[in-house]
Amino acid sequence: MSAAADQAAVEKVLAGDTSAFEDIVRRWQGPLVNLAYRFCRDRDRAEEMAQEAFLRTYRSLANWRREAAFSTWLFALATNLYCSELRRIPVRTVRLDDIVEPKDGRAVDGGLEEEDQDRVVRRAVFALPPKYREALILFYFHEMDVASTARSLALPEGTVKARLSRGREMLRSKLSKQLGEPLLRKET
Amino acid sequence: MRQDDFDSILSKDEEIIPSSGFVVSVMDAVRHETEAPPPIPFPWKRALPGLSAAGFALVSVFVVGITLFIGETATQPLPAKLLSAFALIFQGWNAVGASWIVLALVLSLASVKLSRHFVSDKA
Repeated sequence: MSAAADQAAVEKVLAGDTSAFEDIVRRWQGPLVNLAYRFCRDRDRAEEMAQEAFLRTYRSLANWRREAAFSTWLFALATNLYCSELRRIPVRTVRLDDIVEPKDGRAVDGGLEEEDQDRVVRRAVFALPPKYREALILFYFHEMDVASTARSLALPEGTVKARLSRGREMLRSKLSKQLGEPLLRKET
Repeated sequence: MRQDDFDSILSKDEEIIPSSGFVVSVMDAVRHETEAPPPIPFPWKRALPGLSAAGFALVSVFVVGITLFIGETATQPLPAKLLSAFALIFQGWNAVGASWIVLALVLSLASVKLSRHFVSDKA
């Protein structure tokens, strides 16, 4: 994905060529829909949210200041929209305390099968308070890059690190009740 | 659970592919947005005389109230002064017909909000 191609498409759109926006949509539809999906875990809603993000992008293209990469600006705009949208109509979640261990007869060592464990961890992330959940979702979406996460959330890196640390701590403390002993190693 | 465990679980999230009609749907919405007439701006020029009158009325009530309060209660003790102050504010309020101005402003605001609501619903 080339920054120059983004810039060229933006210039065309700003000059009145609406169809040039299609290049931007084609280039960024995957990341924006996937980011939305990570926030809501619902494919249809993810596409609706991504569509709204593109519309807002179109409306505010003139506000993009060229000192930031187009992708940075786009992700910040989309993140802001997704967070507000999910605060307005939240994803149905269970409280952290109510996450129960799935019954799985195959797990004989007291731990869960890998698939169940993944599911329990993901559900636990969704049960976190929004500010920790948003930081964790974005951190893993941005391939564990704190700087990108901070830019998307428009927060200082220190705040993001603190939220990630606190979010993981909450997960660790709640999940210790749910996951088997072999996975409950103390962090070194 | 160690950080590594979280990292390995949360990093390997499934990737979804946008549906085939997604780009078309977005571009339809964009074109619809482009073709839609621009929102009607708030008529500041027309509203300005009313807003100025309302501001003037409020300032008048305040000034008249303070003047009467200072003039009539200079010799009274504090609780009586407070009661007089409320009475004078009420008098001043009635004198300039502030209730009608406030009612007119509330109705104007409600009609602006309502019309904006209808416009946004249609969009």
